Amino acid sequence: MEQMIANGNMIPFEKGETVLTALKRAGIRVPTLCHIDCLPPVGACRICVVEDTATGQLIPSCSFPAAPGLSVATHSVKALKARKTIVELLLANHPDDCLYCDRNLNCDLQKLAEELGVRQRRISGERIAQFVDNSSPAIMRDPEKCILCGKCVRTCEEIQGVSALDFSGRGSKCKISTAFDQSLNLSTCVSCGQCVMACPTGALTERSSLREVMNALQDPKKTVVIQHAPAISVSLAEEFGLPAGSDIMGLMTAALKKIGFKAVFDTSFSADLTIMEEATELVERVTKKGVLPMITSCSPAWIKFAETFYPTVLPHLSTCKSPQQMLGAVIRHYWAGTQGIDKKAVYSVSAMPCTAKKFEAEREEMLVKGAPDIDAVLTTRELAKLIRMYSIELDKLEPAACDLPFGERSSAGKLFGASGGVMEAAIRTAHYLITGRELGNLVVAAVRSGVGLRETALTLNGLTLKAAVVSGLGNARKVLDEVAAGTSPYHFIEIMSCPGGCINGGGQPRGIDRENVKRRLAALYAIDAAATLRVSHKNRAVAELYEKFLGKPGGHTSHELLHTTYQARTDLL
Amino acid sequence: MNEEKRNILLVDDDPDFLEPVRMLLDAHGYKVESAHSEEGALKCLETFKPDLAILDLMMDHYDSGFIVGHKLKGRYPDAKVIIATGVTGETGYRFAADSEYGANWTGADLIMDKGIRPDQILREIKRLLGE
Repeated sequence: MEQMIANGNMIPFEKGETVLTALKRAGIRVPTLCHIDCLPPVGACRICVVEDTATGQLIPSCSFPAAPGLSVATHSVKALKARKTIVELLLANHPDDCLYCDRNLNCDLQKLAEELGVRQRRISGERIAQFVDNSSPAIMRDPEKCILCGKCVRTCEEIQGVSALDFSGRGSKCKISTAFDQSLNLSTCVSCGQCVMACPTGALTERSSLREVMNALQDPKKTVVIQHAPAISVSLAEEFGLPAGSDIMGLMTAALKKIGFKAVFDTSFSADLTIMEEATELVERVTKKGVLPMITSCSPAWIKFAETFYPTVLPHLSTCKSPQQMLGAVIRHYWAGTQGIDKKAVYSVSAMPCTAKKFEAEREEMLVKGAPDIDAVLTTRELAKLIRMYSIELDKLEPAACDLPFGERSSAGKLFGASGGVMEAAIRTAHYLITGRELGNLVVAAVRSGVGLRETALTLNGLTLKAAVVSGLGNARKVLDEVAAGTSPYHFIEIMSCPGGCINGGGQPRGIDRENVKRRLAALYAIDAAATLRVSHKNRAVAELYEKFLGKPGGHTSHELLHTTYQARTDLL
Repeated sequence: MNEEKRNILLVDDDPDFLEPVRMLLDAHGYKVESAHSEEGALKCLETFKPDLAILDLMMDHYDSGFIVGHKLKGRYPDAKVIIATGVTGETGYRFAADSEYGANWTGADLIMDKGIRPDQILREIKRLLGE
C-alpha cells in the first residue's frame, strides 16, 4: 500500500481510494453530509473539506484521490472554519423548530452544528414557503427542512432504481421534487423508505401512526393487539443505546404488554405460515406447468415496484400475502373468535422495519368485507418512541414470551428478516416436502453471502430447482428484464426491496450504518444456529391452525384470507 | 359490490379532482351526485340521501367541508364522511378524525390528504361502507 500524510502521520491507502476512506481506515473521522458509502462521491456539500498543507487549499476529502506525498490537516483552523461556515449557510434558511422536529436529538445537521460550535444565527437567508407533503401513507416530506444534499435522489435512483425524486429548479429555487411536482402519493415512489434512511435532516420521515395506535389503546371498546416482524428484535436495541445486533425479544415483548397491548404476537409465526403456502404454490406451479419463475411477494415496496415498472411480470408473483397481512388476517378472522371477541373490535397493530408496510396495510386488496387485515403499522423507530412515551425502562423489565398461538415460530421464519431468508426457509421446507428428509445441516450458504444477487441450485429427486436471491430494487432490474423477456433461468426468485433485506429496512434506526446491519444479520444467524425448531413445516402452531381453521395449504380458506391480487399501476413514469 | 347502488355525494370546487373521481365512482357502480360548493352541496342534500360523502374542505369558506359534514351527519347520522383536502399542503394545518374527539369536531370519519390514488379512495369507501 502507498502512503499519504494526515495530521503529520503517515497513513496507508489503496490505489484509486479517496482521502476520506483512507482517513476513515486510519481512524480519523471527518464529518460528511452528502456522502453515501457505497456510491461514487459527489462532493456536493463540502462539509468534509480538509486542508492541503502544501498549498493551503481546502479539498473535499470524499472525492479527492489519495496520492503519495499528499499531506492534509483534517482539523486545521481553516478546515474547521470552512465546515462551520457551511453549516451556518445551511442553517440560514432552515426552520428553527428543532424541538418539534422528528429528528430532534437524532439529526445529522443538528449534530454538526453542535460539534462545530454554531451558537447564533450569523447568516440569515430568505426562506421559500413550502409545505409538508402528507399524502403518502408511508412517507412524509417536509421540503423546508431539506438541505439539498441529494442523498435521497441518489438512493432512489442509484440504489433502488426508482427515480421518484430529483432536483428541479435552478439557483435559489432549486428543490427536490417528484415528476411534475406531484404529491409523493401520486408519484412512482414505492415507499421503501431508503430515502428516509439516507436523509440527514427531518425532510423525509415516515408518516407516523403513533397517534392512531395511542387512541386505540385508550379506547375501551377496542382489543388492541400487536405483532412484531422478525428483524425488529435484533434492531430495536440500538434505539435504546444498546449494541447493534442485541436480541431483545423478551424485553420488547414485556414492554409491549406493559403498554397495554392485549396480545403480542410474532410475525415469524406467519413467516412459517407463508412458507407453507408459498412452498405449496411453488410445487403446484412446477408440477402443473404454471407460470415460472415464481417470485416472492413478502416485500411490499417490491410489489409496488413490479406493479409500476414491470406490470408484465405480475403473473410471476406469488399470490401469497406477506407475513404481516397473513397474521393480521388470522388474528381478525380466527383468533378473535377463539377469544370471544367481535372481529370488528380487534385493532391490529404491526411493528415493522419497513415504511412500505404502511402502504401495504392500506391496500384495497387487503380488505375482507370492509375490514382491513392490519389497522396501523409502526416502524422500529416509532415502536421505540412508543416505548419511551410510556416511560418504560427496558432494563427494569423481566423478559416475557409472545402470546400463543401466534408466538411459536421456527428460526426459518426468523430468517425472513434477512435477504436470502425466505429462500433459505423455503428450500428447507421444499427439500422435506419433496424428499421426505431434512436438508443436511439446514444452512444454505449460497444465499447468505451479502452481494445484491445470489444464485443457488437444488436437485431434489432428479428435479433441479434454480433459485436467485436479490436485494435492493436496483439489483432486481436485470433479473426482471430476463423474466419479462422469458429468458430467466430460474424457478424461484426472492426479491427484497432494501439492500440486505428487512434488517436494513426503511423503518429501521436512522442512518445507513453497514456495520450495524452486519451485526443485525449475524444476530439472526446466531438465533437460527441456536434454535431447536429450525424448519417451518415443523411449527406445531402452524399445523394446528391448518387443522382447526385453514384446512390445507392452498385450500379455500387460505385463498380467501392469505392470498391476494396485484394491479398494474398507471402512476406517472 | 352490493346489488343496490350505494349513494355517494361528491363535493369539490376543483374540477380536476371532482370529475376524475366522479368517473371512477361511476365506473365502480356507485350512484354519484356532485356539487362544487358548500351551498350546492347543502341544496343537494335536500333531495339526495348519501351513504357516504367525499367533501373538499376549503370551498366557499375555509371550513366548508366541516360545515357540510356536520349538517349531513345531523340529517343522516348513519352516512359516512370523508374529507379530502389539500389544506396541509396549502396552509400547513393538519386535521385528523382518528379519535372520537377528532371525529366529533370535524364531523368526518376520515380526513385524507390530496393527492389521493384512485385505489386508495375506493379502499376507504369500501372500508367505511363495510363492503
